[in-house]
Amino acid sequence: MARRKGRGASRAAARVLVAVQLAIVVVTLGVMAVWSFADAWPWPQLAPQAWSLRGYAIVFSGSSDGWPSLALSVGIGAASSLVATVAGAMGARAVCCHEWRGKGVFRFATMLPFLIPGTVFAMGVQVAFIRMGLARTVPGVVLAHAIVALPYASALMIDVVRAQGTRLDDAARLLGAGRVATLFQVTIPSLAPGLLSALSMGFIISCSQYFLTLLVGGGKVRTFALAMFPYVAGGDRTIAAAYGVIFMVVTLAVFCVFRLLLRRLSWNADDAVLYE
Amino acid sequence: MRAASAEEGLRRRRRAVRLAPYALALPAAALAVVFAYGVVVGVLQGFGIMPSLGMNAFTLDYYAQALARPDFTASIGYSLYLSAVSSAIALAGGVLLAWALTTMRARTAVRMASLQVPILTMHALVALAVAFLFSGSGLVSRLLADPAAQSAAQSAFSVVGDPSGWGIVAVYAWKEIPYVAFCTVTIMMHVSGTLGEAAAMSGASPARSFFSVTLPLCAPAAVQAFVVVAAFSFGSYEVAYLLGPTYPKTLPVLAYMEFQDPDLVNRCYAMALNGITTGVCALTAAVYFIAARVQRRQEGSRG
Amino acid sequence: MNASDQPNLYSRRSFLKVSAVFGASAALVSLVGCGSQAPSSSSSAQGELDYSDWDAVLEAARGQEVSWYGYGGQSDRNEWIQNTLIPRLKENYDITLNLVGMDINDILTQLSGEMQAGVGDSDGTIDFVWINGENFASVKENGYVWGPFVDYLPNYRDYVDGTSTDITVDFGNPTEGYEAPYGKAQIVLWVDGAKIRDTPRNPDEFLEFCKAHPGQVTYPEPGDFTGTAFISCLIAGVVGKDVFEQLSTMTNPTEDSVRAIIQPGLDYLKELKPYLWKQGTTYPADSNTVAQMYADGELVFNMGYGGPQALVDKGQLPATTKAFVFESGTVGNTNFMAIPANAPHKAAALVAINEVISPEMQLDQYKVLRNLTVLDMDKLSSDMRQQFEDVPLGSAEVSASEKLKVRVTEASGQAIPVIEQLWRTEVAGN
Repeated sequence: MARRKGRGASRAAARVLVAVQLAIVVVTLGVMAVWSFADAWPWPQLAPQAWSLRGYAIVFSGSSDGWPSLALSVGIGAASSLVATVAGAMGARAVCCHEWRGKGVFRFATMLPFLIPGTVFAMGVQVAFIRMGLARTVPGVVLAHAIVALPYASALMIDVVRAQGTRLDDAARLLGAGRVATLFQVTIPSLAPGLLSALSMGFIISCSQYFLTLLVGGGKVRTFALAMFPYVAGGDRTIAAAYGVIFMVVTLAVFCVFRLLLRRLSWNADDAVLYE
Repeated sequence: MRAASAEEGLRRRRRAVRLAPYALALPAAALAVVFAYGVVVGVLQGFGIMPSLGMNAFTLDYYAQALARPDFTASIGYSLYLSAVSSAIALAGGVLLAWALTTMRARTAVRMASLQVPILTMHALVALAVAFLFSGSGLVSRLLADPAAQSAAQSAFSVVGDPSGWGIVAVYAWKEIPYVAFCTVTIMMHVSGTLGEAAAMSGASPARSFFSVTLPLCAPAAVQAFVVVAAFSFGSYEVAYLLGPTYPKTLPVLAYMEFQDPDLVNRCYAMALNGITTGVCALTAAVYFIAARVQRRQEGSRG
Repeated sequence: MNASDQPNLYSRRSFLKVSAVFGASAALVSLVGCGSQAPSSSSSAQGELDYSDWDAVLEAARGQEVSWYGYGGQSDRNEWIQNTLIPRLKENYDITLNLVGMDINDILTQLSGEMQAGVGDSDGTIDFVWINGENFASVKENGYVWGPFVDYLPNYRDYVDGTSTDITVDFGNPTEGYEAPYGKAQIVLWVDGAKIRDTPRNPDEFLEFCKAHPGQVTYPEPGDFTGTAFISCLIAGVVGKDVFEQLSTMTNPTEDSVRAIIQPGLDYLKELKPYLWKQGTTYPADSNTVAQMYADGELVFNMGYGGPQALVDKGQLPATTKAFVFESGTVGNTNFMAIPANAPHKAAALVAINEVISPEMQLDQYKVLRNLTVLDMDKLSSDMRQQFEDVPLGSAEVSASEKLKVRVTEASGQAIPVIEQLWRTEVAGN
């Protein structure tokens, strides 16, 4: 009896905590959303005095880079997350399903961008990229973003691949499927939840990069984050908030697309739960 | 099929099998190599090695200069303080949040909103929102203001540039608590569903089963997340730049300020500061490595 | 083993769908990427171009894309360039101007990175830069700029007084033709006339003012142009204009030599601290933040290079805003445009710069943005001169003559970083 009461009490407490967390998230993003529509909001009003779409108009007008930078961010995000996920998945396969020398070193190496600050990497690699002709180019930025997304993709894929194992692939091969057919019809679909998870994580990471894109892209590759930052740092609050809302909406939309795909391609319900 | 070619075929296949992992690991290794190259070039610059300027002599001068800066101790102390406090809060809060989600068997939508949405948000935007709420003319300040008070917004309560850096800690907490929770909740749900249930069946109270069973099994994942958060917050630029005080500045902000000096030789100085930052992060990396070993041993025992 | 294997869900079709999405995005990226790397036509041919032949320059510039890098936080300047300058350049010269807004420090970091990597003659990214002061001093010293080029520009020869020290000397550094003038600026201060009746006229009165409004006055952290300029105004007021102007000709300043001149000013700033916002323990990072705090009413005093008239016109500041200058002096400077040594479209840069200093564009900038012109009034046609004079003085403006009366020359480009460092260690660090 007491145990059940204990259970009930802890469940209630849990609900409260989660409610608090949700409230914090909503208030934080909500205040940003309100500011994005506020034209004039002087002290000490609790609500804006004048509403307008001026912020959004400016973001999408010719004088700032709204549309092109958004498209570029999405494109770079897709490309870099793809590179990171493929590299991570292949590496995970190597780590989980084979025994080879240097496995430990490899594992550690792929985790390095987790542990060494991106600022150090960005400042160090800027000159190297310039010499390689990668600086100020989109492929260079894609490469840089892929590198910082790699540890996330790696960690995720190692978990997934280990859970899956090779039994399905072996079964397929035994039944006579060729290598390519196995890859496309068995391996990749069975890893799909993890792949999609890694892709969405990589996309988020790429869209959020400011400092790295600034140093590697050199102001020439203007992603959304780059266009947004000066306003966030101290410019017009309405415009900054408008940028923020657009950013959240776009990343949420892409993330939801990933999740929908995850739902539809799910091998089974348990996996879907594990990999969200 | 003749014996000779069958053997050859076998040898070829064996070689392919042996080479397979290396081929698979190649793309990730390539990315890691580029990363390491960038970091090494940077670290070498800190030691005064800049071939493009004809500087090839290894020297500790720049490190000495960096360490001798009047504001160095304040800077590194401030960075460590911010990182330690926000990571500790993230660890405690994250595990707590994961527990809460597990215990109430949260639906997907709830988990999405409470974990994924913060993870999606850019740090700079969180800093913006914190300023909207807690700056001198922020929403909270307006709510707390005396309605009969005079015109001016209260500058007493302002998060921007506050020397205690509580705004920076708040931003990191907002972002990293969900991250730690995200890293731990999966395992926690799994463990709670299986071993936790088993413990409850055998008569353990919820608290007991949590602390003796669930928590120890989730610990490696939580510690790994903690280390990632600590290293990230220590080396991060944007939030400290946006909300930090005039003095002291965090180490990455200081390094970038020096990096921006048009005099190229000053870059060595900047990279020396970066080298120190990397050193501190390397220590946390060591912790990570050990935690990973423990986890692998655990995985091995679970089979 | 999971019994509900449904391999049909995994048809090649669904996988192909997913990969098609990614293929499309990757293709989009490369297309956009290629698009943003505009083909720099005839950049290799520029090496042989005779820049003193203006017609040849115009011809070479035709069809080129040119990038103007500069501080992007002033939305009215950005708007003016987008809505007025860019269409005009396209229409008259078939040049496409890209305005790239970046903090000058980041611009210089990129430029020096390119120089460090040996990016040569016409392979850089930056065509021309909005620059002056200590930043120009360092890029000129390091050999990062191209020129001298001002004599190639017809509008410079015709309308700019090439002998005036305002044009030939930038923060104590001789420009030597490596920079073309863009606009003039001087620090102006303002308060809300409805709330504040007495405005301070010198540092002593300013100290009293801060004591009367504790916690409601501050300035941007020096490092920010406005912040450095404001403390220069106060220091100049304390030590005297003549003593302060010694800094403008200092070519090899050391901490000791600069400190010898400005020490009383630093002491004054330390004395001021307790009455400032947050007791002077921290300062807003830049002038935009201070402007916001002023607009919110958190601060009662603001300063800047431009003056509040544009904001009053837009209704963002009350009509009772009162602008003024210290009788003890406020610093002023000229800002310029320079061309990096590795600029890829030098001909187009020259044409664009020439257009910025044309009488029509200078008049328009004065009307819309309140930028003081760099043109010599005597050299203009009487009609043009009349148009300048006809631009009405706003209610929140200080007349040009009044500003010039108290104008103090800013410290030299080499001395400025020293002043900022001394402020950081002596005023902020304690």
